[in-house]
Amino acid sequence: MTFRERVDLLDPAEVARLGGIEIIAQGVVEGFLSGLHRSPFRGFSVEFTEHRAYQPGDEPRYLDWRMLARSDRLFVKQFEEETNLRAMILLDASRSMSWRGAPERLTKREYAQRLAAALGLILLRQRDATGLITFDDAVREVVPPRVKSGQWRRLLRGIVALPEGRGTVAEAALRQVTSLLVRRGLVVLISDLLLDRNLALVALRFLRHRGHQVVVLHLMDPAERALAGPPEVRFRDPESGESLVVRPRELARAYREAVQREISAWRAACRRHGIAYHDVMTDEPFGRVLRRLA
Amino acid sequence: MIFLHPLALLGLAAAAIPALLHLFQRRTPPEIEFPPIRYLNEAERRSARRLRLRHLLLLLLRTALIVVLVLAAARPLVPARHAGASHPPTALALILDNSLSSGAVVGGQVTLERLKAAARSVLDRATPADRLWLVLADGIIRSGGRDELRGAVDSVSAEGGRLDLVAAVNAAAVVVGADPAVLREVEVLSDLQRTALAVGRVTLPPGVRVLALGAHPAPPNRGITAARVSAGAVVASVGGAPAAGAVPVTLRVHDHDVGRALAVTGATVTIPLGAIGPGWWVGDVTLAPDELRGDDRRLVVWHATPPAGVLVTPEAGSFVTAAVEVLRSAGRVAAGSGSGVTIGDLPGAGSAVVLPPADPASLGQVNRALAARGVAWRFGPSGTPGLVTGAGVDGVPVSRRQRLEGSDTGAVLATVNGEPWAVAGKGIVLLGSRLDTSWTALPAAPAFVPFVDALVNRFVRGEAAVEEAVGAVRVTFRTVGADTVGATVYGPDPRESDLTPAEPRLIRQALHAEVVEDGEFGQAAFAGLHRADISGVLLGLALLLALGELAAATLAR
Repeated sequence: MTFRERVDLLDPAEVARLGGIEIIAQGVVEGFLSGLHRSPFRGFSVEFTEHRAYQPGDEPRYLDWRMLARSDRLFVKQFEEETNLRAMILLDASRSMSWRGAPERLTKREYAQRLAAALGLILLRQRDATGLITFDDAVREVVPPRVKSGQWRRLLRGIVALPEGRGTVAEAALRQVTSLLVRRGLVVLISDLLLDRNLALVALRFLRHRGHQVVVLHLMDPAERALAGPPEVRFRDPESGESLVVRPRELARAYREAVQREISAWRAACRRHGIAYHDVMTDEPFGRVLRRLA
Repeated sequence: MIFLHPLALLGLAAAAIPALLHLFQRRTPPEIEFPPIRYLNEAERRSARRLRLRHLLLLLLRTALIVVLVLAAARPLVPARHAGASHPPTALALILDNSLSSGAVVGGQVTLERLKAAARSVLDRATPADRLWLVLADGIIRSGGRDELRGAVDSVSAEGGRLDLVAAVNAAAVVVGADPAVLREVEVLSDLQRTALAVGRVTLPPGVRVLALGAHPAPPNRGITAARVSAGAVVASVGGAPAAGAVPVTLRVHDHDVGRALAVTGATVTIPLGAIGPGWWVGDVTLAPDELRGDDRRLVVWHATPPAGVLVTPEAGSFVTAAVEVLRSAGRVAAGSGSGVTIGDLPGAGSAVVLPPADPASLGQVNRALAARGVAWRFGPSGTPGLVTGAGVDGVPVSRRQRLEGSDTGAVLATVNGEPWAVAGKGIVLLGSRLDTSWTALPAAPAFVPFVDALVNRFVRGEAAVEEAVGAVRVTFRTVGADTVGATVYGPDPRESDLTPAEPRLIRQALHAEVVEDGEFGQAAFAGLHRADISGVLLGLALLLALGELAAATLAR
C-alpha cells in the first residue's frame, strides 16, 4: 500500500499501521485534496478581491451576473484566501475516548488524534491560523492559533502528548475558545459526547452567538451503536465506575433505540442553533469524514 | 385419568427447577468496560416492564414444558369413545352371581341372562394382554382366557347356592390386586340382593376398582325357607319379600297330596302326616309358582320307627331315669324289655348305652365285658375337663370324664378337647362321662332329654340325624351295609327368597363399587371402557411450548 492509493479512503485502522500520526495526516490530506477541485473550506475563509474577463474553462458559478446585466460583458469574480482566519480544534481526551469495541479497530482517541491532525494540516495549508485545545474534565493542553511555520509541529505535539484523561466536561474548553478566538473563526469539537448535553449545548450556543462557525464531530465506536456481548455481562463505565448487569441480547433493540434518540437529540439541537453536527464511526475512512466537513 | 407409568410423575418435582434457578442462581457475570452506560440505563428503564413480562412468560413456558414432558413420560390414559381407543393391560375379575335368586324372572327376562349378557359384553372387550378371572356362586376363582371364560359364562345356570358378595369381592380384589397389571378391576354382575350385603364390608387393595351392574326392581317373591318333621307333622316356613295375601302350601308324599295349608310371608304352617308306616320317607313341600321357581319347593325327610324299649339300670342315675320317663310319656320310648336298650355301666346282651362306672375300680370289669361283646372301644384313664363338640350338645361343659380308647374313628359321635367322648358301634354307645351333674352339666341343660332320645332311638341303632344343606333340591341317604343310617336334605338358602335389591348407598358402602346401569356397563369396564394414550398429544404440546419458549427467548430481543 502506498499513499498514491488514497489512504484517506482506506480503513482507518489499516491506515494507522502505515506510520505515525504526522505521516498519516499528510497522506490523508494529500489524498483528500487530490480528490477536490477547489478549496475544501472556501466560502467561509476567503474574500473577494477583483474582477477579470471570463476565459473558457472558468467555472460558470463565479460569473458576475450583475456585471453581465449592466455591461453585457462576462467577468468572473476573483477571491483571495483570507490569511487571518482562526480555527480551534477541541479534542476530547477523556477516559471514555480510550475505548474500542474490537482490537482490530482504533480507539476513539486514536481516531480523533489522526482526524484532528489531518484537519489541522488542511487548515494550515489554507493559511488559516489553527490552534488546539485538549480536555477531559478540565483543559489539559492549549496550542494557540497561529499560521506561522512550525505551527503544524506544535499542533502535532499537542495531539500526540494527549494525557490519559478522566471524566468529560467540555464547557471549560469551549469557554476558553472565546478568549483565544477574538474574531470570528471556526471551532471543531471532536468528542464522543459522553457528557452533559445541555451544558455543552449552552457553551456551543455561546460560541455560535459570538459568530463562530461551530462543527461537532460525534465519535462513536461501532460497538457503541449495537449492543453485543456474552449472555450476561456487567458493563462498567470507565469514567464514573458505575456498573450494570444486563443481558445484551435482551436489551439490544432498546439500546439501539436509545443511542439513536441521543444522536437525533444532538442533531436536532445543533440544527436549531446553526451548529454543524456529524456522527462519525471510528471505522469510517478519514477522507469521507473530511469530505462531510467540506 | 390414569397413568401407565405413575412413578414418572415423581419427575413433576423438576417443574420447580426453573423457578429455583431463577431464585437462587447467583452467577458472577464477566465485567467489561463500556463507556456509554448512560444509554444502557435508559434502555433498561424503558424496557423494564417488557423484560419482567418476558421473564415471567419464559418461566411459565419452561415450567409448563417440564410438566408436559413429565406427564407425557407417565403415559396418561384418558377416557375415549372412538373406535381406535384401547385399554391398557388389565387384571379383571368377573363375579357372576348365578345363585338361586338369579333365576328370577324380572320384566320378562331371567335375571341370570341379563347378567350373562353383561358378562359377555365385558369379555368381548378383553384383549390377550388382559388377565381374567371368573367367580361364580360357588366362590371358586377360575382363571382363563377370554374365550374360555366366555364359554363358562354361556354354560352357567342358576344354582341353589348363595353367593356371599362381600366375601367374593374381597377374594377377587386380593387376586387382581396382586397382579402387576396397569388396571385392576372387579366387575360385580349380580341381582345385588339386600341380604347378600347385610354383613361385612369389602377391603380393597390399593388401585383396585369395583364396578357393579345396577339392580332392577325386584318382583314380590315367596319361598319355602324351611321344612322339617316334628311330632308327627311337617312344619314349613314361608319367607321372602312381604306381600299381600296368603299362598297355599302343599305337602306331597310319594306323589300324593298329604295335606295343604295357607301361609303368608314369614308364617310357619304345620301339616300333619297322619298314620304312616315305618321306614324312611321323603315329603315334597311346595308353593304356588311365582317369579322365582327355585325356592317354591323344599324336601323333607324323616325316619318312621316304633319307639325303642328302654331299660334304665339304677347305676345310670336319677337324671337318666327322669329323662326316660319324660320320653316314655311322650311316646318316644317304650317300657324296657329284653330286646330294648339298656342304660347302665355294663353292656347287656342287647343294645346298650354304657356309662363309666362310679367306682374307678370297676373299669377293668367293664372293659372286659366290652371286649367280650367285640366292641373295639374301652374306658381309659381320666381325661381333662372341657366342652363337648358334636352329638347335638355342643358347648356343654364336662368336668370329669374317662378317656375312650379305640381305633375306629368313624364311630366317634362327640369329642371333648379333641378326644372321643361318645362313640357308637355294634349296638353299643359309650359315653366318657356319667350323666350326672358331678361329671357334666348336660343333665341340667335343655338338650338333655333330646340327647337321651337320640341315644336310644338313633345312636344305638347307628343312625345319624337328618342333616340339611344348601344346594339344589334333593336328598342323599347314608347307608351302612344294607341299612340306611342317615340323610341329607338339600334346599335353597332361605335368604335367596328375598329378592329386594340393596340401596345404591349400601352397595357403595359395602362393596366400594361404582354402580353402572346395563347400557353403560360394557363402556364403563376396563377403567371406563377404552382409554386413549395422550402422551403423543402432550409431546406435540411440549414441542409447541418449546417453540414458544424459543420464540420468546429470541424473537422478542
